[in-house]
Amino acid sequence: MKPQFLFAYWFRYLGWGLVIAHIPIAMLGRMNGMINPLDNLPGNTSLFTGEHLFFIGTTLLMSLGLFFVAFAREKIEDEQIWHIRLDCLRAAIFINYLVLIISLVFVNDTAHILELNLWAPLIFFIIRFRWVIFRLNRSLSREK
Amino acid sequence: MKNNIRIERAIKNITQAELAEQIGVSRQTINTIESNKYVPSTVLALKIARVFNKPLEEIFILEEGD
Repeated sequence: MKPQFLFAYWFRYLGWGLVIAHIPIAMLGRMNGMINPLDNLPGNTSLFTGEHLFFIGTTLLMSLGLFFVAFAREKIEDEQIWHIRLDCLRAAIFINYLVLIISLVFVNDTAHILELNLWAPLIFFIIRFRWVIFRLNRSLSREK
Repeated sequence: MKNNIRIERAIKNITQAELAEQIGVSRQTINTIESNKYVPSTVLALKIARVFNKPLEEIFILEEGD
Protein backbone atom coordinates (compact mmCIF):
# COMPACT_ATOMS: atom_id res chain seq x y z
CA MET A 1 0.00 0.00 0.00
CA LYS A 2 1.47 3.31 -1.06
CA PRO A 3 0.59 6.19 1.25
CA GLN A 4 -0.91 9.11 -0.65
CA PHE A 5 -1.45 12.77 0.15
CA LEU A 6 1.52 13.07 2.51
CA PHE A 7 4.21 15.73 2.46
CA ALA A 8 7.92 14.95 2.33
CA TYR A 9 9.71 14.19 5.60
CA TRP A 10 11.35 17.64 5.82
CA PHE A 11 7.94 19.36 5.90
CA ARG A 12 7.83 18.37 9.57
CA TYR A 13 10.67 20.79 10.34
CA LEU A 14 9.13 23.47 8.12
CA GLY A 15 5.87 22.97 10.03
CA TRP A 16 7.49 23.38 13.46
CA GLY A 17 9.31 26.44 12.10
CA LEU A 18 6.01 28.03 11.04
CA VAL A 19 4.38 27.22 14.40
CA ILE A 20 7.32 28.71 16.30
CA ALA A 21 7.49 31.75 13.97
CA HIS A 22 3.80 32.39 14.58
CA ILE A 23 4.31 32.93 18.35
CA PRO A 24 6.47 36.12 18.31
CA ILE A 25 4.51 37.55 15.35
CA ALA A 26 1.20 37.03 17.16
CA MET A 27 2.61 38.44 20.42
CA LEU A 28 4.12 41.50 18.72
CA GLY A 29 0.92 42.11 16.78
CA ARG A 30 -1.22 41.93 19.87
CA MET A 31 1.15 44.22 21.77
CA ASN A 32 0.82 46.75 18.94
CA GLY A 33 -2.93 46.71 19.26
CA MET A 34 -3.69 44.23 16.49
CA ILE A 35 -6.27 42.30 18.42
CA ASN A 36 -7.81 39.15 17.10
CA PRO A 37 -10.74 40.29 14.93
CA LEU A 38 -12.74 37.31 16.13
CA ASP A 39 -13.01 39.20 19.45
CA ASN A 40 -15.27 41.83 17.95
CA LEU A 41 -16.74 39.87 15.08
CA PRO A 42 -20.31 41.05 14.47
CA GLY A 43 -19.26 44.71 14.52
CA ASN A 44 -16.55 44.76 11.87
CA THR A 45 -17.01 42.39 8.96
CA SER A 46 -15.04 44.24 6.26
CA LEU A 47 -12.32 42.25 4.52
CA PHE A 48 -8.57 42.92 4.28
CA THR A 49 -8.40 45.50 7.03
CA GLY A 50 -5.16 45.59 9.06
CA GLU A 51 -6.67 43.37 11.72
CA HIS A 52 -8.04 40.96 9.17
CA LEU A 53 -4.69 40.67 7.39
CA PHE A 54 -2.93 40.14 10.72
CA PHE A 55 -5.44 37.44 11.60
CA ILE A 56 -4.98 35.74 8.21
CA GLY A 57 -1.18 35.89 8.58
CA THR A 58 -0.93 34.47 12.08
CA THR A 59 -3.73 31.92 11.73
CA LEU A 60 -2.41 30.72 8.40
CA LEU A 61 1.12 30.34 9.80
CA MET A 62 -0.12 28.34 12.77
CA SER A 63 -2.61 26.18 10.86
CA LEU A 64 -0.28 25.51 7.94
CA GLY A 65 2.54 24.66 10.37
CA LEU A 66 0.40 22.18 12.27
CA PHE A 67 -0.90 20.75 8.99
CA PHE A 68 2.64 20.15 7.72
CA VAL A 69 3.71 18.56 11.02
CA ALA A 70 0.67 16.29 11.08
CA PHE A 71 0.87 15.13 7.49
CA ALA A 72 4.60 14.90 6.85
CA ARG A 73 5.84 11.44 5.92
CA GLU A 74 7.79 9.41 8.48
CA LYS A 75 11.31 8.29 7.53
CA ILE A 76 9.92 4.84 6.75
CA GLU A 77 6.23 5.20 6.04
CA ASP A 78 5.03 1.60 6.04
CA GLU A 79 1.60 0.06 6.50
CA GLN A 80 1.82 0.01 10.30
CA ILE A 81 2.53 3.77 10.41
CA TRP A 82 -0.36 4.27 8.00
CA HIS A 83 -2.57 2.20 10.31
CA ILE A 84 -1.47 4.23 13.37
CA ARG A 85 -2.03 7.45 11.42
CA LEU A 86 -5.61 6.53 10.60
CA ASP A 87 -6.29 5.37 14.15
CA CYS A 88 -4.94 8.64 15.61
CA LEU A 89 -6.95 10.68 13.11
CA ARG A 90 -10.10 8.84 14.15
CA ALA A 91 -9.32 9.49 17.83
CA ALA A 92 -8.54 13.17 17.16
CA ILE A 93 -11.85 13.73 15.32
CA PHE A 94 -13.68 11.89 18.09
CA ILE A 95 -12.09 14.01 20.88
CA ASN A 96 -12.54 17.19 18.85
CA TYR A 97 -16.26 16.63 18.47
CA LEU A 98 -16.56 15.78 22.16
CA VAL A 99 -14.84 19.09 23.04
CA LEU A 100 -16.96 20.91 20.44
CA ILE A 101 -20.23 19.55 21.82
CA ILE A 102 -19.22 20.29 25.44
CA SER A 103 -18.07 23.82 24.58
CA LEU A 104 -21.20 24.53 22.50
CA VAL A 105 -23.34 23.56 25.47
CA PHE A 106 -21.35 25.27 28.24
CA VAL A 107 -19.62 28.24 26.51
CA ASN A 108 -21.42 31.13 24.88
CA ASP A 109 -18.56 32.29 22.65
CA THR A 110 -18.99 30.82 19.18
CA ALA A 111 -16.11 32.80 17.65
CA HIS A 112 -13.52 31.31 19.99
CA ILE A 113 -15.07 27.85 19.73
CA LEU A 114 -14.62 28.05 15.96
CA GLU A 115 -11.04 29.27 16.37
CA LEU A 116 -10.32 26.40 18.75
CA ASN A 117 -11.75 23.95 16.24
CA LEU A 118 -9.36 25.15 13.59
CA TRP A 119 -6.38 23.78 15.53
CA ALA A 120 -7.76 21.26 17.99
CA PRO A 121 -8.06 18.20 15.67
CA LEU A 122 -4.52 18.70 14.35
CA ILE A 123 -3.09 19.18 17.86
CA PHE A 124 -4.90 16.11 19.22
CA PHE A 125 -3.73 14.11 16.21
CA ILE A 126 -0.08 15.20 16.51
CA ILE A 127 0.07 14.51 20.27
CA ARG A 128 -1.45 11.04 19.96
CA PHE A 129 0.48 10.08 16.83
CA ARG A 130 3.87 11.15 18.30
CA TRP A 131 3.02 9.39 21.56
CA VAL A 132 2.22 6.08 19.82
CA ILE A 133 5.42 6.32 17.72
CA PHE A 134 7.41 7.13 20.87
CA ARG A 135 5.97 4.06 22.65
CA LEU A 136 6.73 1.91 19.61
CA ASN A 137 10.36 3.07 19.56
CA ARG A 138 10.70 2.65 23.33
CA SER A 139 9.46 -0.94 23.20
CA LEU A 140 11.98 -1.60 20.43
CA SER A 141 14.92 -0.17 22.39
CA ARG A 142 13.85 -2.18 25.46
CA GLU A 143 14.13 -5.37 23.41
CA LYS A 144 17.65 -4.63 22.18
CA MET B 1 -3.01 -14.94 14.77
CA LYS B 2 0.36 -16.40 15.78
CA ASN B 3 3.48 -16.43 13.70
CA ASN B 4 6.84 -18.17 13.47
CA ILE B 5 8.84 -15.23 12.18
CA ARG B 6 11.27 -15.27 15.12
CA ILE B 7 12.01 -18.97 14.57
CA GLU B 8 12.31 -18.57 10.82
CA ARG B 9 14.68 -15.66 11.33
CA ALA B 10 16.81 -17.74 13.63
CA ILE B 11 16.93 -20.56 11.04
CA LYS B 12 17.86 -18.15 8.27
CA ASN B 13 20.15 -16.24 10.67
CA ILE B 14 18.91 -12.77 9.84
CA THR B 15 18.13 -9.87 12.17
CA GLN B 16 14.88 -7.92 12.41
CA ALA B 17 16.59 -5.00 10.70
CA GLU B 18 17.74 -7.18 7.78
CA LEU B 19 14.28 -8.67 7.33
CA ALA B 20 12.74 -5.19 7.53
CA GLU B 21 15.09 -3.92 4.86
CA GLN B 22 14.36 -6.84 2.55
CA ILE B 23 10.61 -6.21 2.58
CA GLY B 24 10.75 -2.42 2.82
CA VAL B 25 9.24 -1.77 6.25
CA SER B 26 10.60 -0.41 9.52
CA ARG B 27 12.19 -2.56 12.22
CA GLN B 28 9.38 -1.50 14.55
CA THR B 29 6.86 -3.14 12.24
CA ILE B 30 8.73 -6.47 12.22
CA ASN B 31 9.04 -6.28 15.99
CA THR B 32 5.31 -5.67 16.54
CA ILE B 33 4.38 -8.45 14.10
CA GLU B 34 6.73 -10.88 15.89
CA SER B 35 5.22 -10.03 19.25
CA ASN B 36 1.69 -10.44 17.84
CA LYS B 37 0.79 -6.81 18.46
CA TYR B 38 0.17 -6.05 14.79
CA VAL B 39 -1.43 -8.21 12.12
CA PRO B 40 0.17 -7.51 8.74
CA SER B 41 -1.75 -7.04 5.51
CA THR B 42 -1.90 -9.91 3.01
CA VAL B 43 0.71 -8.22 0.83
CA LEU B 44 3.17 -7.85 3.69
CA ALA B 45 2.51 -11.40 4.94
CA LEU B 46 3.20 -12.76 1.44
CA LYS B 47 6.43 -10.74 1.24
CA ILE B 48 7.58 -12.19 4.58
CA ALA B 49 6.73 -15.71 3.45
CA ARG B 50 8.67 -15.17 0.24
CA VAL B 51 11.80 -14.13 2.17
CA PHE B 52 11.70 -17.40 4.11
CA ASN B 53 10.74 -19.34 0.98
CA LYS B 54 7.83 -21.03 2.74
CA PRO B 55 4.05 -21.13 2.26
CA LEU B 56 2.10 -18.48 4.17
CA GLU B 57 0.39 -21.03 6.44
CA GLU B 58 3.74 -22.20 7.79
CA ILE B 59 4.58 -18.73 9.00
CA PHE B 60 1.20 -17.35 10.06
CA ILE B 61 -1.13 -19.61 12.04
CA LEU B 62 -4.76 -18.82 12.83
CA GLU B 63 -5.78 -19.19 16.47
CA GLU B 64 -9.09 -20.32 18.02
CA GLY B 65 -10.61 -16.87 18.41
CA ASP B 66 -9.71 -15.60 14.91
